[in-house]
Amino acid sequence: MSQTISPQCETCPVHHAGNLIKLGVNMDSWDYVVALAGNPNTGKSTVFNALTGLRQHTGNWPGKTVTRAEGGFVYHDKRYKLVDLPGTYSLLSTSTDEEVARNFILFGKPDVTVIVVDATRLERNLNLVLQVLEITDRAVVCLNLIDEARRHQLNVDDRTLAKELGVPVVPAAARQGEGMAALLGTIDEVAGGQIVCKPHRIKSESRQVRAALEALVKMIQERFPGLSNARWVALRLLEGDHHVIEALRSGALGDLGQEKSVGQVAA
Amino acid sequence: MTHPLESLIFACLAIALALALFWPQQGFYWQIRRGNRNTERVVIEDALKHFYDREERGSAGTLASLAGSLEISHDKAASLIERLQKMDLLQTYRHGFRLKSEGRSYSLRVIRIHRLWERYLADETGVPEVDWHREAEFREHRTSADQAEEMAARMGNPQYDPHGDPIPSSTGELPPSNGILLTHLPVDELALIVHIEDEPEILYKQLVAQALHPGMKVQIAEKSQDRIVFIADGEEIVLAPVAAGNVTVEPLPKEQEMEGPYDTLDTLSPGENATVIGISRACRGMQRRRLMDLGVVPGTTISAEMRSAGGDPTAYGIRGATIALRSQQAKQIFVNRKEAA
Amino acid sequence: MKKQAVQAEEILNSANKLRWQIGDQFHDSLMESIYRDAERISQTVVNKKDEKPRFNWDRTLDRILTSRVVGLPVMMLLLALVFWITIAGANVPSGMIASVLIDKVHPILKDAASVLPWWMSGLLVDGVYLAAAWVISVMLPPMAIFFPMFTLLEDFGYLPRVAFNLDNLFRKSGAHGKQALTMSMGYGCNAAGIVATRIIDSPRERLIAIITNNFALCNGRWPTQILIASLFIGSLAPPALAGLVSAGAVMAVTLLGILLTFATSWALSRTILRGEASTFSLELPPYRPPRILQTLYTSLIDRTIFVLWRAVVFAVPAGAVIWLISNIKIGDLSIAAHIINLFDPFGLFIGLNGVILLAYIIAIPANEIVIPTILMLTVLSLHMAGVGEGAGVMFELQNSDAYMRLFNAGGWTLLTAINLMLFSLVHNPCSTTLYTIYKETKSAKWTAISAFLPIIMGLLLCFFVAQIWRLVQGMG
Repeated sequence: MSQTISPQCETCPVHHAGNLIKLGVNMDSWDYVVALAGNPNTGKSTVFNALTGLRQHTGNWPGKTVTRAEGGFVYHDKRYKLVDLPGTYSLLSTSTDEEVARNFILFGKPDVTVIVVDATRLERNLNLVLQVLEITDRAVVCLNLIDEARRHQLNVDDRTLAKELGVPVVPAAARQGEGMAALLGTIDEVAGGQIVCKPHRIKSESRQVRAALEALVKMIQERFPGLSNARWVALRLLEGDHHVIEALRSGALGDLGQEKSVGQVAA
Repeated sequence: MTHPLESLIFACLAIALALALFWPQQGFYWQIRRGNRNTERVVIEDALKHFYDREERGSAGTLASLAGSLEISHDKAASLIERLQKMDLLQTYRHGFRLKSEGRSYSLRVIRIHRLWERYLADETGVPEVDWHREAEFREHRTSADQAEEMAARMGNPQYDPHGDPIPSSTGELPPSNGILLTHLPVDELALIVHIEDEPEILYKQLVAQALHPGMKVQIAEKSQDRIVFIADGEEIVLAPVAAGNVTVEPLPKEQEMEGPYDTLDTLSPGENATVIGISRACRGMQRRRLMDLGVVPGTTISAEMRSAGGDPTAYGIRGATIALRSQQAKQIFVNRKEAA
Repeated sequence: MKKQAVQAEEILNSANKLRWQIGDQFHDSLMESIYRDAERISQTVVNKKDEKPRFNWDRTLDRILTSRVVGLPVMMLLLALVFWITIAGANVPSGMIASVLIDKVHPILKDAASVLPWWMSGLLVDGVYLAAAWVISVMLPPMAIFFPMFTLLEDFGYLPRVAFNLDNLFRKSGAHGKQALTMSMGYGCNAAGIVATRIIDSPRERLIAIITNNFALCNGRWPTQILIASLFIGSLAPPALAGLVSAGAVMAVTLLGILLTFATSWALSRTILRGEASTFSLELPPYRPPRILQTLYTSLIDRTIFVLWRAVVFAVPAGAVIWLISNIKIGDLSIAAHIINLFDPFGLFIGLNGVILLAYIIAIPANEIVIPTILMLTVLSLHMAGVGEGAGVMFELQNSDAYMRLFNAGGWTLLTAINLMLFSLVHNPCSTTLYTIYKETKSAKWTAISAFLPIIMGLLLCFFVAQIWRLVQGMG
């Protein structure tokens, strides 16, 4: 176990295999895990179908009545497992859907999180995107329904958006299959570490909140030096999230900060 | 075969009986179940809460006050106090009684469970506001500490109950409170409602009827022996001093100004625009989260798009999406109307 | 390790202190700041072309479809059209499948199975196979027509507008406008209607929609209604009006179902569901051109085949049970005959009879096989010779005279017919639906309520109708 990032491990998968198995993901014979997040009505399932074709099955999240779909695809000889998260507007509330989605991204640590957004309602969709980017720095934004946006005379500047968000943005029209090849390529590059993201972090919080966050982040980083999303953990502590409190008490948060052990790489 | 009329009468009687027995809340069966609750534990816990409450208000509980609050005879109250003293929870203090530290932490535990339940009922269920207190009273005695902790965890460890009271932490800590009673607020000074007392029920119902909630800004306009006139979030309200005494406020710094009165979203006709000022504190739990997730936060511009053929839900343009809201909900969203360009 | 635990508690303590300081407005102010960032980013990134917008289709269409004058009639017409196409269009393929599976394949299988002992061929071919064949032939065609049409309307974006228009009506009974959609689905199949309640995102309103979905007559019950109405009620009118009168009777039962939906929703939301959380929001997505092929594919796979498979799985054991109780004898009589004799007094008392009650119990898996089971059991209990296919073999008859002869022999009256129609509307959901309710709610309590509430209502309804009927008859 080492706490520093070894250079040859840039391309290694980063997902947390142990937690993923707990979250009900069968990890045999997959190299990378990709999570698919997005608001309802953004064509998320169309993207899911386009990526996985018929290789998918549905079931429930362990212990929850929330349905989930899983599928897979092979790209550049790498086998990707795609997990469809519940469609939600946000990740901050106590509803089961949102709990499932945020815990998967935080504890499962997928190698890539694809966030499907509706180009015609970017502002509202960015709410979810900004929250996901607080949790993970390995994300790809799929700017879906770009054809609809064109039809409504909307021009979305995907390059500026990518610069603002600090993660790759792929314009797509999943219903027509447009942009799916580019999406696959980008997922592959993020998973393989060729693209390193510098995600946007929420900036306009109130002074009081910022001070509280800074104080907590400092303490958390002292306790878990490798943790990349200490700010999210602090946010969740201020919201009283019992999963995060548990993980803090048990020390499980620490595993999320470290690079993979040798055993996991071999698997 | 029996005569049809006989069987009809018989069936109607049977149905009436079944309804009388099992009608939710008011049925005899439920009343009997609730009546059985006056076990020793319940009486002790209620007594402790009474003494705690008295102390918080700066006076000491007495035999008479206990008998009145629990609706029991003076003899029973006397033996109850004796038992509490034997259990080392209570001690005499001046003309009345005072909780010992053991008794204080016991009552804080009960209060924690009570306020957690109130918060739960307010946020996660559709139980009407006037019933929260009674329901919580009923449930608090049948909830173990572990169950309470689990409930708190599920709700994201809330810190305030819906009346604005802090929920004691599991170790019995409470934040300092610097509120004063609304009746003590000087005329013209601005303050924030921090607490609404839910007992006695008759007064609480009056406060609920005036839609008063923690978080509202208030300003006294006129004070006299028989009435207190004040502005709450821009609307004038008149209360008897005894009712106003059940409202606690925290004075605000001088530079803040009374805002409002605001329009509410439901007053917009299709084609009009407005900017959101805030969501009423009466809108809680899932409903509030949903609205905020959809982008109804201060500063959002909302346009009324069209009314349903049925007349009620109205579709609004909110951050690029078209969302239908019922007028009941739209009433809880405060807005500033924009002049038509 | 110990030091780390202390550190963790320290973090938690300071988090708690900070929470007291910030107050309970934290969530609100966080959401506000996220949206502020989102707004800023989207303003720099999105620009709407300044040229005068072309004709705005969405807006115009919405104005028309949600207006009082045009919107409501258009909605009624569209829904009526969907139902009409379903009922009219399903007849022919239903008949074709039935003629192949029941008239052709069944005798062939029967021949092929003649090498087996009689009881085994009876159990497998007459019991299991026939039940499955029956369910498929009655259920598949209407679903294969109804679901794709419904999914197309959904895909186009029209269905949320229906919910929008009807919400006020549903609000008054404590329900959600989207219940209009799950009800419509229920007219196709209650199990599919239950699955569709997922679109209702408020817990209380969703449970209401689940429990009351049963009052939407599903396609397994339409044939029963139509058959009984035309035999008993249509025949009361002069021949020229018979069709109209019997259609009116079916319509009346359907309307009663809608009435019961509202009444039950109202009662539920004020009694047992009073404490469930409730919220409302309804997104009206933009209209999108529907993708015909993809819709056909997904609605066939996701809805039709899924529901059909579940129904067949449940029908198979029912077929076996039907055959077994008709063929195993205790003393002189089959088990079925014993049960019928047992049920007859109560059945007749509430204006039905023992045969109907037994048929409803063993045909719980699928409403489709109720009429064939009733026919078979009637023949069985009367020891009729030359009618039907033998003990435990479900069948249908060719013409209405044959039906009437059989029903008259079974002692049926106009009251029996009316009560059968009512009971067919108000009884427990089929086991496929109950299983689906359990899968969706993960709660034995709500599943039990969904089963027992309608059955009690149905028995009471039949009881009252029968007593009042007799009272009026006695007076006249």
